[in-house]
Amino acid sequence: MSSKPSSLFIIWVLIERDLRTLVKSPWILINRTVFFLIQLFVFAFLITKLASSLGFNYFAFYSVGAVVSTITSIAFIIGEDLFEEEEMGLLDYLLSLPFGHTLFVIGRALGGAVRGLIYVTPMMILVAYLDGYFSVVGVAGSLLVIFVLATGISGLSITLAMLIRNANRFDIMIALAELATVRVSAAIYPLVYMPKVLQPLATYSPVTSASDIVRAIFLPGYASEPYETVVLVLFVLIFFGLGSAFLFRKLEGGKFE
Amino acid sequence: MAMIQFKDVAKSFKDVYAVKGVTCDIEDQEIFGLLGPNGAGKTTLIMTMATVYNPTRGEVVVDGHSASAEPDKVKSLIGISFQDPKYDRILSAREILQWHGKVTGVEKGVREKRIDDVLTKFGLAGEAKKRTWMLSGGTKKKIENAKVFVQRPKIAVFDEPTAYLDVPSRLMVWDMIDELRDGGTTVVLATNMMDEADRMSDRVGIMSRGEMVQVGEPARLKGTLKGRDVIEMKLEAPFPELVGEVKHVEEVKEAHFEGDLLKIALSNGRELLPHMINLVTAKGGKVQSVNLKEPSLEDVFLHYTGTTLT
Repeated sequence: MSSKPSSLFIIWVLIERDLRTLVKSPWILINRTVFFLIQLFVFAFLITKLASSLGFNYFAFYSVGAVVSTITSIAFIIGEDLFEEEEMGLLDYLLSLPFGHTLFVIGRALGGAVRGLIYVTPMMILVAYLDGYFSVVGVAGSLLVIFVLATGISGLSITLAMLIRNANRFDIMIALAELATVRVSAAIYPLVYMPKVLQPLATYSPVTSASDIVRAIFLPGYASEPYETVVLVLFVLIFFGLGSAFLFRKLEGGKFE
Repeated sequence: MAMIQFKDVAKSFKDVYAVKGVTCDIEDQEIFGLLGPNGAGKTTLIMTMATVYNPTRGEVVVDGHSASAEPDKVKSLIGISFQDPKYDRILSAREILQWHGKVTGVEKGVREKRIDDVLTKFGLAGEAKKRTWMLSGGTKKKIENAKVFVQRPKIAVFDEPTAYLDVPSRLMVWDMIDELRDGGTTVVLATNMMDEADRMSDRVGIMSRGEMVQVGEPARLKGTLKGRDVIEMKLEAPFPELVGEVKHVEEVKEAHFEGDLLKIALSNGRELLPHMINLVTAKGGKVQSVNLKEPSLEDVFLHYTGTTLT
């Protein structure tokens, strides 16, 4: 009557669980959407006026960066979920189910990314419309790019959740990580206006890479370098591996009946 | 062949050993009661069997598969009902059971039918769509148990399955566990409730401080407590001369009067009861009532662990 499910099916079921919980808490979606709209139509509008002397369209630059930074913030939530699951003992249940630890990390990271994608797809379409970009294929390609970024950010978030045991320390670290990944990047301001000491870090930030690739698709006059795609892919691979490794370490080192 | 074999299984977290070299077999389709106070190592042993933890030493073999070498194979055989309900409380009972059934590979048609059956049996059909955080502790526990009844795994682990439940619900859970076993499932029942272990278990294993200190059928384990049976005979009047007569019986360890009550501590009390009554009567004692007190599983536990269940 029961059969061993395939790996793909398990990944789908793990994603489905994250989606089910998303549907049950629409206030998060509403909150983030309102925040995004305020950022776009108030903050970006004002800064665009202030920065008009710089000679470039800051609103177009920022609108793409706002979507990328929003999905980055949302992807971090999966680590918070996992930390809470660990505290509540739910992780023991999930890991007793018929799939391996690595598959679990992949499923959860993808779940976090899919959840993020559902949040930001309407935002991405709105931004494409505001920027005057109307290619369905281009928008789909952009969504794919930010999905890859969100997968890596989810992996990073899971790694932090597995690495840190103290709840307060975890909250601080997640907030700092989110701040660093978004702010030390070219998501919401151009690299040249950043402090010199941060520029090398921001150049190789996956958030910069994703922002630049989407801008290259949406906005005329923007281009992305091939290394940025490599940065993005490496980021995902590294944090899948680390998330899985630290999950194992946490289980083997930190729990006692 | 045994369904589950623990071969010198030890598990440490850093330098602290939660399980210290457990060797024990659990037979196919038996209900195995796992007893032990909090911190005895029961949960760690279960989680090692479920491959969540790797043993520091030794091996767990489940249905012929090594838990370390073939964890996915082993996990697919096991379903666990945890002591504290473990599921997403933002979801409803039906959603939780659907997801659990799906992830454990129960086919859709079968899954839905089982969910309907279990929810009806537990009287939860009307609450199946409510978010579970809104439900009572007993209802949450029923949903935790229901996961395993929907899954019907080859090996079912129940950790305190009747905690928080009222008497009718307890009896229903016991019947459902019996049915599960009759359907071919091996059951590991971790419990602190001695009446539950006594009623349900074919055999029990007693754990203390990370070790399996005794394994056997409840009746046999009780029988190992020689001299712990007590016969209490209420006589018409005290008859001190009887004490000496009674003490001549080899199995009798001690005898004395408390008022008109003759108390005899002995082994094999059940078998010797008619003989003792005849002996007292033959010597002139007029017996008004008789009571036999045999060791309980709790006495067995106390004897082997030197501690009470808390």
